[in-house]
Amino acid sequence: MITQARQPEIDKRVVIDVDRCVECQSCAAACFAGHARMPAVSFARAGWALLPLICRQCKAPACVDACPAEAMVRDEAGIVRRRLFRCVGCGSCAQACPFGVISDSLAGTPGTIKSPGELSGHQISKCDLCADRLAADAKAVPRCVAACPSGALRFVDEHQAEADGLLIIGGRSAADHLYKRR
Amino acid sequence: MCSDTPKQEPRSRCTLCPAGCELRIGGLGAGGYQSEPPMVGGAGLCPRGLAIGELLDAPGRIRWATRRLDGRRHEIGLADAARAIVAAAGDRDLVFFLDGALPCEQLLAADAWCRAWPRAKLCVVLEPAERELLLGTEASGAAYLSDADLAGCDGFLIVGDAFAANPACSRGVFDRRAADARVAIIVIDPGGGSAAKFATCRVAAPPGAELAAIAELARAAGVDCPPIAPPDGMDVRSARSAGLALAGCKRPAIILAAEYGRGGDWRQIGYLAGRLAGALGGGVACQTTGANALAAVRLGPRLAAISLADALARQDAAWVTVGCDLLGMLGIRGREILAAGAAFANRSTEAAEFVMPAAIAMELGGMHLLGGQRQVCLEAVLPPPAGVLEPADVIGSIARAAGVEAPGPTTAVGALSRLAAAAPSIPAGCAAAAAPPVLMLGRQAADAGCGELTAHASWQSAVGSPPSVRLAAADARRIGVKDLDMVEVRTGELSVRARVRIDHALDAGAVVLPEALREARAMCPLHVSPATEAVVASPGTVNIEAANDYASQTA
Repeated sequence: MITQARQPEIDKRVVIDVDRCVECQSCAAACFAGHARMPAVSFARAGWALLPLICRQCKAPACVDACPAEAMVRDEAGIVRRRLFRCVGCGSCAQACPFGVISDSLAGTPGTIKSPGELSGHQISKCDLCADRLAADAKAVPRCVAACPSGALRFVDEHQAEADGLLIIGGRSAADHLYKRR
Repeated sequence: MCSDTPKQEPRSRCTLCPAGCELRIGGLGAGGYQSEPPMVGGAGLCPRGLAIGELLDAPGRIRWATRRLDGRRHEIGLADAARAIVAAAGDRDLVFFLDGALPCEQLLAADAWCRAWPRAKLCVVLEPAERELLLGTEASGAAYLSDADLAGCDGFLIVGDAFAANPACSRGVFDRRAADARVAIIVIDPGGGSAAKFATCRVAAPPGAELAAIAELARAAGVDCPPIAPPDGMDVRSARSAGLALAGCKRPAIILAAEYGRGGDWRQIGYLAGRLAGALGGGVACQTTGANALAAVRLGPRLAAISLADALARQDAAWVTVGCDLLGMLGIRGREILAAGAAFANRSTEAAEFVMPAAIAMELGGMHLLGGQRQVCLEAVLPPPAGVLEPADVIGSIARAAGVEAPGPTTAVGALSRLAAAAPSIPAGCAAAAAPPVLMLGRQAADAGCGELTAHASWQSAVGSPPSVRLAAADARRIGVKDLDMVEVRTGELSVRARVRIDHALDAGAVVLPEALREARAMCPLHVSPATEAVVASPGTVNIEAANDYASQTA
């Protein structure tokens, strides 16, 4: 059951090793296939590279603060995710996200599905770390990580990363408070 | 079923490239299937593999035989269709163009039917450049490397966009680089593909000059190789320094991807690459479209099949395509064909009077050569839908309708040993390059081959329209376009509208469209090499114009 009470944060997140990304877009395709054709992986071109943008599971998620419909929540597992039937597709979360990973145009496909035949009619896609897979198997990883053929995407425990020799660049929050962020 | 099983693979695997990635097929609540990477322990699954699940039960799947009458398609029974095909063929010979990426048992069964029917000729269809490449590597005697072997290599020469052809092969390269940051990664790719950005040394070569670059590199590495006059625009110095870097390796890997429309030297490229790898103690890894291209090449002498060039020359014969989109792959326009067996609509089914439903490769169990030359027997991911024939049975049903008696049991596949191919003659120079801007086709991880299968998947449909055209920054400035603008790429009567993607790894004068775009394939000049009888598609000159009208921007 999901409540609005403060939930624990998840320690694991998806990180990308930019020296390994071959731009195959397997992550986006896997996300597309696994999330009812609403991919939560977008791309940004940075010079020569086309890099996937994946939710950082912020410590103080701006998308949760900004959502007027209380669709964005941190659930019991600590995952910041979108509640399907509350989302009205207003795009507030996309505007608030300081990292630009929530978008209404994802990987060239419309992130906001507004056709009457699709679900509630108005949806913004949001990474939930493939909660269905994580719940089914403790060793499972999100689809984007499992699909990555080059090993560029990893699902790492932040506390363990340093011990493993990983230097993670980029934090999980632009600031602590919504107004400070702005 | 496998007629001979050296190793049985219990897991579902994608057979759209030699990597043979593991996948899971799950049912969707609303019907249909989806493929997913394994929960634990998988080694990735690219967009092609992810498309398979959806394709198994896609709404657009061909499930019934149809006949075109008065411009419309009418359903008919399979037996009636077979009889009508035989009647429509009349006195003409029939040429069956069979997809070469199918399991070996399918090729042998189709061959048995064609042997039993004197009027029928079998042609096993592979991507022309890949067939030539494999004939070259077979003749070279080089060892084949699997993706897992690559991590144990200490130097890499990558020809073509191998990382797009098989993204899984990049893992071994990066694993090695993680262990040794100084490992040489040499890239020869006039198309500036995804491997180019990881190169420690990039050998600049104009389109169609890959052979001259490899020859220069091999000579610098101390390998006996006849000289090939370098064409204008080739950086001889970088080729020589790359050769010296490779010469210091104890076990180099040469990863090859033969892309369509890049010229006719692929047999020589495969041979020289194999010789180079063999001389330095390394091996080659050929990244083909479909997992079974090497098996089809090795089976070739056992089949009474005619070459693709011979089959194309039989213009008066009745053409029947089975499992392959011949017209889309070769960009052939205006040719009517009698019948097409296919899983999805494609250029060949559009041009065919009769269409028969045919299973796709993943629905057929059988012998494959995966990951280098590992001979494995794969089970079908799922059986074909009811009423859908196996490709060999499409040929069999037509043969039966012609009164041909069923052949006896097909011979066992047995060991698929190396082909005793002759060494190709090395030319003294490269063919004259087309004037810039030159159109090349580049591999994409999203699509396999000419896209006859994967283009029907929803993700590929969503991101592939409009297609992208890669341009060098200098060319974009000259034309007056920027990233994401629309342009029209034109040659003669043919044109493609595409969205610009400025590629900083691309040399000026090169224009790269996706290899899976059938309209783009039609823009590459096609001919048959008189020396080798190989079908050759070459880079061609195109015009590019900005197309920033409202209709293009909203396409």
